[in-house]
Amino acid sequence: MHYPIGLLFDLLASSSALPWNITVHFKSFPEKDLLHCPSKDVIEAHFMSCVKEADALKHKSQVINEMQKKDHKQLWMGLQNDRFDQFWAINRKLMEYPAEENGFRYIPFRIYQTTTERPFIQKLFRPVAPDGQLHTLGDLLKEVCPSAVAPEDGEKKNQVMIHGIEPMLETPLQWLSEHLSYPDNFLHISIIPQPTD
Amino acid sequence: MAEDPESSLQLPPSTAAEGEGPTEGSPETVTPEPPSSAAVSPGTEEPVGDTKKKIDILLKAVGDTPIMKTKKWAVERTRTIQGLIDFIKKFLKLVASEQLFIYVNQSFAPSPDQEVGTLYECFGSDGKLVLHYCKSQAWG
Repeated sequence: MHYPIGLLFDLLASSSALPWNITVHFKSFPEKDLLHCPSKDVIEAHFMSCVKEADALKHKSQVINEMQKKDHKQLWMGLQNDRFDQFWAINRKLMEYPAEENGFRYIPFRIYQTTTERPFIQKLFRPVAPDGQLHTLGDLLKEVCPSAVAPEDGEKKNQVMIHGIEPMLETPLQWLSEHLSYPDNFLHISIIPQPTD
Repeated sequence: MAEDPESSLQLPPSTAAEGEGPTEGSPETVTPEPPSSAAVSPGTEEPVGDTKKKIDILLKAVGDTPIMKTKKWAVERTRTIQGLIDFIKKFLKLVASEQLFIYVNQSFAPSPDQEVGTLYECFGSDGKLVLHYCKSQAWG
């Protein structure tokens, strides 16, 4: 699985000081374990598929499908060339929702834990409850990953991390999706053991 | 779910030996494959009725891609898209160098290491996950 590098850092090395020193291998590519990306086009295709999957969840693909091919290209080029305004000119449309709603249809998220076998948790989860209340990050965790949330009496076992920070569990999920998603429009959430020091 | 070999075949396990399947037919024709030639015999496989572990997948061909004679499959949740692609390619007798793309909702191609169980949870309907497959990029 090819994960965003920030996610990899949170998941595997969050106790390390930045900048993160990594070792790059040029031989013995583990073909059995990792997907080989032979060209930039493959990476672009993978990125666009993630964006499309996110929009399928948020808007039943309506927003991404209404865009022209050049808009998709602009999204990728903005990311590739580190052009914030170019990227967000398109991405902001993916962050909108109909006036009569209070948020997206479902929130694109993936929860990663180093302690489990499964690669990640991804499920359908609505940002708004039937009564109109906004669901929080804590609500999401309780629903899809209850073991990660500390029991009322126990002490905090895990850190819930996005982009290297621990958002308050009371933060509305809709807000997190709009403001803390990765460029692929997914919220990549790491659950890591609480450091003991 | 009912164990009906005609409508809901079990995908052979990922470690199934190579070279299974009938020897007749060209890739362009639909080759009938009797259920018994699949690498699995129902007795040794986990029970089909264990709905927690397996999900139903309906495969639909796009364009001039050959149509699978058996379209409905019961697949373990942890099977990856790549595993499914390999299986379809073998079933359709495509050569390894030929590409096969799989789409969800006729809109996006999931990552090859994505598990079908997750896709079913998020994009399944009426108790099954519908996947379109194509030898060329149909939806970009």
